[in-house]
Amino acid sequence: MSSMEEVMIHSSSFLLPSIPADKASAYAIVVLNQNLPRFTPLLWEHAKLRLCADGGANRIYDELPLFFPHEDALLIRNRYKPDVIKGDMDSIRPDVLNFYVSLGTKVIDESHDQDTTDLDKCILFIRDSTLNQESCRLQILATGALGGRFDHEAGNLNVLYRYPDTRIILLSDDCLIQLLPKTHRHEIRVQPSLQGPHCGLIPIGAPSAKTTTTGLQWDLNNTEMRFGGLVSTSNMVKGEKITVESDSDLLWTISIKKQDSTRP
Amino acid sequence: MNVNTKSLSVSHRLQPAMEVMSHSSSFLLPAGETSAKRYALIVLNQNIPCFTPLLWEHAKLRLCADGGANRIYDELPLFFPREDALLIRNRYKPDVIKGDMDSIRPDVLRFYLSLGTKVIDESHDQDTTDLDKCILFIRDSPLNQESSKLQILATGALGGRFDHEAGNLNVLYRYPDTRITLLSDDCLIQLLPKTHRHEIHIQPSLLGPHCGLIPIGAPSAKTTTTGLQWDLTDTEMRFGGLVSTSNLVKGEKITVESDSDLLWTISIKKQDPNKTLRSG
Repeated sequence: MSSMEEVMIHSSSFLLPSIPADKASAYAIVVLNQNLPRFTPLLWEHAKLRLCADGGANRIYDELPLFFPHEDALLIRNRYKPDVIKGDMDSIRPDVLNFYVSLGTKVIDESHDQDTTDLDKCILFIRDSTLNQESCRLQILATGALGGRFDHEAGNLNVLYRYPDTRIILLSDDCLIQLLPKTHRHEIRVQPSLQGPHCGLIPIGAPSAKTTTTGLQWDLNNTEMRFGGLVSTSNMVKGEKITVESDSDLLWTISIKKQDSTRP
Repeated sequence: MNVNTKSLSVSHRLQPAMEVMSHSSSFLLPAGETSAKRYALIVLNQNIPCFTPLLWEHAKLRLCADGGANRIYDELPLFFPREDALLIRNRYKPDVIKGDMDSIRPDVLRFYLSLGTKVIDESHDQDTTDLDKCILFIRDSPLNQESSKLQILATGALGGRFDHEAGNLNVLYRYPDTRITLLSDDCLIQLLPKTHRHEIHIQPSLLGPHCGLIPIGAPSAKTTTTGLQWDLTDTEMRFGGLVSTSNLVKGEKITVESDSDLLWTISIKKQDPNKTLRSG
């Protein structure tokens, strides 16, 4: 393993009630078409840019008011207004579309483009956005990328591999997933009140001849991992810092703790 | 024309006389139609798909992996809202509950024990997943014969924690000689080993049209298909590049040939619940 490799630091500060103001923490949120995780209001509030991928707009419209049962649904819908709705528009309901158009949400109909997924389309929008600067790159948090049809899920995992220079985190109620590119050594900072202990390192796409970790219950030591053999699942984090070094791109996944679901 | 002939002869050179492996999902057919293949059912700890009662009734062997027993206990009666829950629980009794027992509720465990379910506590074994443990039980069962192997259907293997899901996908790769199908309300997943050419038979009333071929463990230099909207012809697939997702089946027979193990996935159509729940 080369000690000349640059270190890539990963933190999940976006899960904290108040987010640090540093540039590294700035993010855009993309909402895809699955049930909203319970921490969506928190992520929404601190986002620099808020997109719904097609039917993700139905989810924001229908499900966000459910997080605030004592408040008027229309007020909540006005408050949680996407900046952009983008995609091939085959899932968004007409009433939902009309509502957000009337609020001034930018709607980008890409139904002519059947070659890229709705998540792809949103990522490209974010990358081209003036809010995404060389000096201050936006990381991308996506909810609703997991579950449902497995080919959709696999396509969304592939998005992580196809944009290795963009920090993209897939989030569900149960876990988060991020790519650890082989080009870097990785330091993962865990928030123990919010994350873990369950975790895994998954060699999706290609086997790994040698992976080495620190900070896990079952650390790897130049260990081979591959589908058909060993894959690090049902592992556990031991502390607040995990390091990973590998000859292959890996997916890192860690569980998200069930929280008290009061509003942020 | 010349290009087609050329790619055909290249394929034949690469895989001279490969055996055909045939796949069908007859286990999803409504009651009254015979299922060609005998199967065992494993229920893992996620929401039960709506066709679970159908799968349960025609299974040769019924296992719950640890907390899967909670799901059978809690959720099966919900499919029969007009019937007494206790009657349903008695009717849908697992043959075996196996696993490390850290998820099953004590009341659920006691209930099935009193009904005679065999409970195998493997909490000492932390090296294998609950799904592994159940597969090993099925493989060793006298119902699983050389002459007539049981295929395995597993519900609840997808969703929830991604490391669990990845571990369950890895199970397909680690038992390539056993036919294992992972099922959810939305889709099914099966391994297509590179050692065979594959013929997949679709029941269009039950499956599709959405499908995909996923090179999860390793890239594929050459995959060739027929029967898909976007067929592959000696096409390379890999994570970071092309993966066949949001594809569509065109007819009732798909063929796949690849130099790499692939996961095949196809969507399951939403059914009329009344149609699938009646037993024969």
